[in-house]
Amino acid sequence: MRHVFDSMGTTISVELDGTADDAARVEQIFHGFDRRFSLYRDDSELSRIAAGRLDLVDSSDALREAYALALEWRTATGGVFTPHRPDGVIDLNGVVKALAIERSGQSLGSDWIVNAGGDILISGADRVVGIADPVDRAALLCSIVLTGRRRAMATSGSAERGDHIWGRSPEFAQATVVADDIITADVLATAIIAGGSATLDDVTAQFDVDVLTVDRDGQLRATPGIRTALATGQPDSEQAEA
Amino acid sequence: MNTRQALTGIFATATVIIVGWQVGAVALGQGAASSTSSTATTTSNPASGLKSGTYTGSNEQTQFGDVQVEITVANGTITDVKTVVLTGNEGRSDQINSQAAPILRSEVLSSQSANVASVSGATYTSDAYLTSLQSALDKAKG
Repeated sequence: MRHVFDSMGTTISVELDGTADDAARVEQIFHGFDRRFSLYRDDSELSRIAAGRLDLVDSSDALREAYALALEWRTATGGVFTPHRPDGVIDLNGVVKALAIERSGQSLGSDWIVNAGGDILISGADRVVGIADPVDRAALLCSIVLTGRRRAMATSGSAERGDHIWGRSPEFAQATVVADDIITADVLATAIIAGGSATLDDVTAQFDVDVLTVDRDGQLRATPGIRTALATGQPDSEQAEA
Repeated sequence: MNTRQALTGIFATATVIIVGWQVGAVALGQGAASSTSSTATTTSNPASGLKSGTYTGSNEQTQFGDVQVEITVANGTITDVKTVVLTGNEGRSDQINSQAAPILRSEVLSSQSANVASVSGATYTSDAYLTSLQSALDKAKG
């Protein structure tokens, strides 16, 4: 079955081999993360910390774990990814959606797709997933087979809503990262948009991920793994004459 | 006279070899469609077109250490291009082998498929979702 709902300011669609109860559980997981971490809700735990009404040391384990995770990624990306807004407010937007996707997957059986605002995690059969064209979002740029360990795909854009990308004049219009887990994919896609080609080189050197970027002129760059994962759907029958 | 004829012969041979190299380079450039180092051309069979097999270019010193480019040819086209790092530490060889290289839109466009299960894109608002491909997909598969 398929279940579509709104949470975290975006739309989540879940396709699963299960019941309405399974789908409802996923929805509750997202709403739970949103209630705790949203800075758009005055009553969220994170908003109370931002307003000085709650000390970090008195916050929940869940919040401190998410913050610690975000700080680990700040270190791993040399500070390009950061959970701190320029005004000093802790903003965990960059990890919370991925955490909710991951937690949802843990609550489900073996065959499902969770797509939260364009970030995808799958389980079970191999799946062909499309990447939207940043110029024309009604068109696909290409499609990729998620197979083997590669189960997660996240895409970040420089025109993206939200405050968790604070780089200057982004080089890339869009960055897609394919990884074994959704947190790595999501964080690194964000970091590449924020840090540009220097971060792209660092990411491909340091992490076991595949990346497809679209720069401001529409030019593409891809790691070798993206090339091999392109879903052709066509047998290689026509060979050029030598 | 004898000396002159001999020299002419040598120059003619040299010209053939140089032209051969250039022909080889053009063919390789078209097939690879990426910014692969031209060292691949130096030891492949230049004048005879592309024969099936695996070819390794000569050593090239780069910031990553000594590098060779290896190409695989099947039925007259290049089917694989690999960068082989001969020296240097593990991290550096990872870096050059995993780097994001330019790729043509036409190369990825051919991968478009109507059978996608899901669509990835920059995070959309709930409003923007309504006009997204993912929304169309959700409706179609209801």
